Amino acid sequence: MRMKWHEEPPVKILLIEDDKETGEYISRGLKEAGHLLSVAADGRDGLFRATGEPWDLLIVDRMLPGLDGLSLVRTLRAGADATPVLFLTTLGGVGDRVGGLDAGADDYLTKPFAFAELVARVNALGRRPREVKTETTFKVGDLELDLLKRTVRRGEKPILLQPREFKLLEYLMRHAGEVVTRTMLLESVWDFHFDPRTNIVETHISRLRSKINREGGGELIHTVRGAGYSLHAAS
Amino acid sequence: MTLLYAGLFCASVLILFGAMYWFGTGFIAEQIDATVNSEIEEVRTAAHGNTLAALRKTVALYSTNTPDGTYYLLLDRKGRKLAGNIPPLTPVLGVRRWAGREEGGTFRGTSHEVRGRGVAAPDGGYLFIGLDANELDEMREMIARAFVVGLLATVLLALGSGALASLGLLRHVEAISQTSREIVAGDLGRRLPVRNTNDEFDHLAESLNAMLERIEGLMTGLREVSTDIAHDLRTPLTRLRQRLELARRGQSVDELHQALDKSIADTDSILETFAALLRITQIEAHTRATAFTRIDLSTMLLDMAETYASVAEEQGQVIAADIPPGIVIRGDRELLPQLFSNLVENAIRHSPPETKIVLSASAAPQGVTVEIADTGPGIPAEMREKVFQRFFRLERSRTTEGTGLGLSLSAAIAHLHGATIRLSDNRPGLRVTLQFPSDQTV
Repeated sequence: MRMKWHEEPPVKILLIEDDKETGEYISRGLKEAGHLLSVAADGRDGLFRATGEPWDLLIVDRMLPGLDGLSLVRTLRAGADATPVLFLTTLGGVGDRVGGLDAGADDYLTKPFAFAELVARVNALGRRPREVKTETTFKVGDLELDLLKRTVRRGEKPILLQPREFKLLEYLMRHAGEVVTRTMLLESVWDFHFDPRTNIVETHISRLRSKINREGGGELIHTVRGAGYSLHAAS
Repeated sequence: MTLLYAGLFCASVLILFGAMYWFGTGFIAEQIDATVNSEIEEVRTAAHGNTLAALRKTVALYSTNTPDGTYYLLLDRKGRKLAGNIPPLTPVLGVRRWAGREEGGTFRGTSHEVRGRGVAAPDGGYLFIGLDANELDEMREMIARAFVVGLLATVLLALGSGALASLGLLRHVEAISQTSREIVAGDLGRRLPVRNTNDEFDHLAESLNAMLERIEGLMTGLREVSTDIAHDLRTPLTRLRQRLELARRGQSVDELHQALDKSIADTDSILETFAALLRITQIEAHTRATAFTRIDLSTMLLDMAETYASVAEEQGQVIAADIPPGIVIRGDRELLPQLFSNLVENAIRHSPPETKIVLSASAAPQGVTVEIADTGPGIPAEMREKVFQRFFRLERSRTTEGTGLGLSLSAAIAHLHGATIRLSDNRPGLRVTLQFPSDQTV
């Protein structure tokens, strides 16, 4: 799987994972994607290193020897450490996601996962300042979205969107230039935390595309093969 | 236990008789005292003049003309008998009683107890009037006899019924433990005997039987699932193995990559089956209502209809929604969308173009009803129960991709919410009815 993110600045990541093979797999893949990786093999060591130096992102396995992932994140958050945390788990059970987010994690990924999924989430978390963006207008190329007026324009032409399409476009614009996966869209736009059996995302993307398309104005929503979608002006 | 109860019985009989004795004799004594008092008054009045001599005459007259059972005695200052029908007594004032035969032996044929009252007479004299207290004696004797007989009967009865009761008790307990041993030994179909006497033992047996029913159901489910997993995963695993072996002999890098991509896809579908199974198990084991919150069901269902409208449209199908606003229930925010999504997707995936899918909801005092109806091919009546079983797939949907776990998962989520899920004929098509209980509504 080859993806081009080399041009973006690397994310400095601490991976806290006790399983050697999984650790190897994740760190090798993320290094290939251009990130800086360090690995801690147990909870105590992980907490020690997480607080010892600044990181852009922590990837924490939920089941760890020494100190489990949930307690580790709680301890960090109690100490006002706001470093983004991505939880990894094999449990993936009912309520685990909520439990992880309650403890202070920013995102949650169930093993096994497609590597593209992990990379997309690492990019989304690691490059984003933790404060929630407060902009109310977004602009990509000649496409503009106004959150307060709930309007969308392409150039001079206003575009009418269904509420769900508006939400979808808003998410894509907030993550303009990043790759967003199908799962990320399902979770954020539809609040679906399971894998639907029909192509909801594909269908809605294709409708959105046809609505924001303009004669002669290039494609804005790009399909990233094997990974997801990315909204950016044609280069 | 029997002895304890017998002891308790005897104690209560003892108390009962004691009370009877106390109140009975007290009442008779009071009667006697009252009679004696009025007799004294009468003698005093009849004496006309408050002198010892006048009294002496009256007492002498009364004591000779008296019926059996009334005793008079008048003494002078020195204790000498002036008149009366009993031998002289030590002059003691107030109520006094004695057994007639003790002091002075029997007189006038009585050996009963005598109860009477001594009062001061003029000139230092002493007047005593007493009554034969044979009623008191009889009463005492009667109570004592009754007491002995009663106590004896009570002891016998208590011991007997106690023994019977504990015998019955022990027999029931023994029956239950016997059945339990048989169940432990592996006969899960056994049930405790219910005697339809509607007592505590029946209730206990019924509760235990209900529990056994559930355990047996779970055990059967577990056994079926293990077999199903083995069957359903063997095919894709075999295919994966074959593909990998072919890839190993592959010639070009392109071929190798292709084989690897397909293998990853195969593995993903196997993992998906595992994930679905785990999820069902977890939902089934989930304690109800732990993660329940207030949910705007109307909005959730309208969102569902909106989300799937375009998906259905691509297949030439139509989704309509008939959902009044403001229906609110308590439920799991993550699982409920999966339940509705599963059912709507089933309708979309198993129906041909031109199918109309209607999502409706209504709230009534007895609960909230949600219906997903389509005009597709439907499910034959005899298959409607089976489709909820894990891995069960209708013949015609064997070719559709899927784990065969969707409806099991839906049923598990519905069950978690205390809701019933029912399939019926939509003439034509399938109608799925979810009935949420009223305690789930807000």
